[in-house]
This record gives sequence, structure tokens and C-alpha cells, in this order.
Amino acid sequence: MSFLQILLQLTGGVGYTIMVTVACSLTGVVVGLGVAMLSRLGASWLSAVLGAFTFIFRAVPVLVLLFIVFFGLPNAGLRVPPLVAMMLSLGVIAGAYLAEVFRGAFDSVDASEVLAAEAMGLSRFQILRLIEIPQMLRFAVPGMINEFTTVLKYSPFAYTVGIPDVMKEAMSLSATTLRGVEIYLAVGIIYFLIYKLLVTGVWALEKRTRIPGLTG
Amino acid sequence: MTLLSVQDLKLEYDGRTILDGVSFDLAQGELKVIMGPSGSGKSTLLRCLNRLTMPNGGRVVFEGRDVLGPDVDERALRQRIGFVFQNFALYRHLTALQNVTLALRHLRRMPAAEADERALRQLARMDMQAHAHKYPAQLSGGQKQRVAIARALAMDPAVLFFDEPTSALDPLMSREVVNILHQLRDERVSMLCVTHDLYLARAAGGRVMFLDQGRIHAEGEVDELFGPNADPRIRAFFHQELQQAQAAQPISPAQPISPAQPMDGAQPVDPSGPAGSPER
Repeated sequence: MSFLQILLQLTGGVGYTIMVTVACSLTGVVVGLGVAMLSRLGASWLSAVLGAFTFIFRAVPVLVLLFIVFFGLPNAGLRVPPLVAMMLSLGVIAGAYLAEVFRGAFDSVDASEVLAAEAMGLSRFQILRLIEIPQMLRFAVPGMINEFTTVLKYSPFAYTVGIPDVMKEAMSLSATTLRGVEIYLAVGIIYFLIYKLLVTGVWALEKRTRIPGLTG
Repeated sequence: MTLLSVQDLKLEYDGRTILDGVSFDLAQGELKVIMGPSGSGKSTLLRCLNRLTMPNGGRVVFEGRDVLGPDVDERALRQRIGFVFQNFALYRHLTALQNVTLALRHLRRMPAAEADERALRQLARMDMQAHAHKYPAQLSGGQKQRVAIARALAMDPAVLFFDEPTSALDPLMSREVVNILHQLRDERVSMLCVTHDLYLARAAGGRVMFLDQGRIHAEGEVDELFGPNADPRIRAFFHQELQQAQAAQPISPAQPISPAQPMDGAQPVDPSGPAGSPER
């Protein structure tokens, strides 16, 4: 079995790895946006609750939360499919980190623009939607790429709940061929290529939506 | 006809008195200038008039309606008042045109084509139509302020508030703003302008109120206000401003300090005229 054949064999799991990464990243964006928006708009007690949420979920190890969701919740009568378990653990933890990224990016929006929008008669929600979020998302690109990369690198945990991703394929292959070094080297190369694709994709999107003078 | 009437407006913040019983009227089509040193409560005063800040006492009547009452539709009120800020406050992610159409699209629910057409007319009025598709970062300070004025005018407000419109501009660009004030005054746009810029106050040609420590100490033409019989506080402010102005842009000592001439038509300020424009 040549190295190329090993690579080809492993690509069977690439789809799952990408699926887990994208699903968890999107969960993270939704959770992070929700938390950041609510704590920007909401009352101070709500901000405190959301602050506690981000603090706790940034502290919990991904694997521990994953096992609580996947192996613990069925005891409480709640069966969770593997991908959903990944989204509820890795995705939500990414959300806690992204909430911080978005909070910082919201703070970069010029307060005088918000004041001008208020003086114009726009509602708080319109200001958020029309002024703050479009700028904030652009400011948040570097932090988002960082977090998406982290999600990709945590995605191998998916094999522990039975998702046949690249890592799962590699372990099966290694068990039958006993060529661990080459196989895991190939896994490393595959993750690097997915990483490169992800970063290139996000920067391409950033470039298409770039506004002169807004971001560096 | 009185458009805006302010009576005994009071504001305290953190135990400090910001506004201490301010009263004045603004007539339809009138331009009034509120002058005063930094920290005199000028900008806060403007913000109390459209409820960006809620005062503790007094009355504000705008277009015949009480502004400070409990049942006032704040957003409807603000749409009747165009606000121009010292730092322009253009939305940096939108082009000049989009800055002007934003309120038309989202408050007036105007279709895109109609909003664009109307916004382009306002930009043309400010001589900015050539820059409609530029982003704020691609415009000079004076151009940004003209876009900001076009943005305020697009909603057909009953009055324009200017909050220190020249303090972020160099003298040449300040003169552009003065020209626009004249143009708008000739079009009978009601305007209230807050500034500590002596040049602007004189060149604008409106009546001037002097605000210090939350009170209006005098109202009149600039010349009466700062004449030999003026309040010592006003004279002190005047001399300080004049010194600063001379340091920044030497004014010929031969030019007497006299009130701005009333302007007919949208003529530019004559640099050699009595308004004491900077020599360059």
C-alpha cells in the first residue's frame, strides 16, 4: 500500500470532518452572535448571566462536555445523535469564545455612529442590524478564523461518538495495516489542506466584502 | 412663527448642574448660534431637544407639541430634526449615497430607486454628487461634513441641529460649512448651531446666544455681545478664542472685529470681507 493509496483511503472521512467542522462553527457563530447581541442590548442582569455562560463554557474541556451530552443525557431519557452532540459541545464552546470575539468587535464600532443613528430615529434593533452588525462582522474576521481553526482541530473527537471522520478512518486503517507513522502523517497533511482551504475561503469572502478604510 | 421654544431647561448629572434654566425660541426659517466655552453644556442642550438626553426640568415645545412628555413618539420626533455632528458620524461601511438613503429606505420605507434619486438630489445640493459612491474614508473632512448635511436634509427635517460642525475641520473647510449655512439660510431652513468657533459664529450671520455654566448670559448680534459693555465672562471667552484663532490663523490687526454682514444669496464668504476670514 503506497502513501498515495493511504491518502486516498483516508479521504473517505474528509467529508465527515468538514461536516463536523462546518456544523460546529456555524453553531458557534449563532450562539456567539446571540450571546453578544443579547448582552449588548439586554439588561445588566442578563449580561451578567451571559458573562457567566461564556466563562463556564470556555473552561470546560470539549471531550468532557461531549461525553456529558452524548453518554450522559441518554440517562435522562434524551438520546442525542452524534453530530448534534458535537454541535452541543464543541459548537457551544466555540460559541462562548466567539461571543468574546464579537463583543470586542462590537466595541470597535464607533459610538458616534450609533449616536447619529439614534438621532436619526432608527430603532435600537435597526441600529444593530444596519450599522453595528455589518461593521462588527468585518472586524471579527481574524478572531473568527482563529476559532474556526480551533474547531477543525477539535473535530477528531467526533470519532469517539462514532462519526467516521478522517481520524476514525485512520484508526481503522492503522489497526489493519500496522503502518501508523505513514497513516498519521497522511492525516496531518489532510488536516493541513482542510485548514488551508478554510482560511483561504474565509479571507476570500472577507476580501469580497472589504470596505475601504474600515478594516486595516 | 415659533418653531422651537425652550423654557427653563434644567439638567443635573452626577450632582453637577449642566443646564441651569435655559430658555430661548427659534423661529421658522431662523438661524441661531449658541456659543460658549467647552463644558458649558452646549452639546448637551442640543441633545435634550431631541431626547437623546432627558433633562430634569423645563419645557421644550417643537412644532406646537411638548417634546418632553411621557407619550412622545421619540423616533418620530427625531425624524423631524436633522442632526449634524462635529465628527461627521458617517456610517463607515456605507458609501456617501447609502449614508443618505439609509433613513429613507428604513424609516420612510422608500423603494431603492426613489431613495437613490432623492439622495442624489441632496448630494447635488451639497455639490457632492460626484462622490456619491465613495466610502467615508475616501472623503476629506469637509466632504464628509457635506455628506452628513445631505444625510440630515434627506428626511426633510423641520430644523437642522449643528453640533460643533467646524471643530474637526481646518479653516478652509470651515468656510465650506459657513457657505452651506448661508445657502440653507437663504432656502429658509431653520437651524440651530452650537459652536465655540468664533469665526463660524460671526460668519454665520445669525443671532448668537452665549451659554456658560448652563445659563444663557446674553443674546444678540455678535458685535453687541462682545462689545465694550459685555459681561466680563463673555469678554474673557472672546479674548481667549481670539488669541487661539490668531495663533492658528493670523488675523490682520487692521481688521476690526465687527459683526458678519447679512448675506444675500448663496455667495461665498469674501475672504477680504469684514468677517475676519483667515489670510492664506
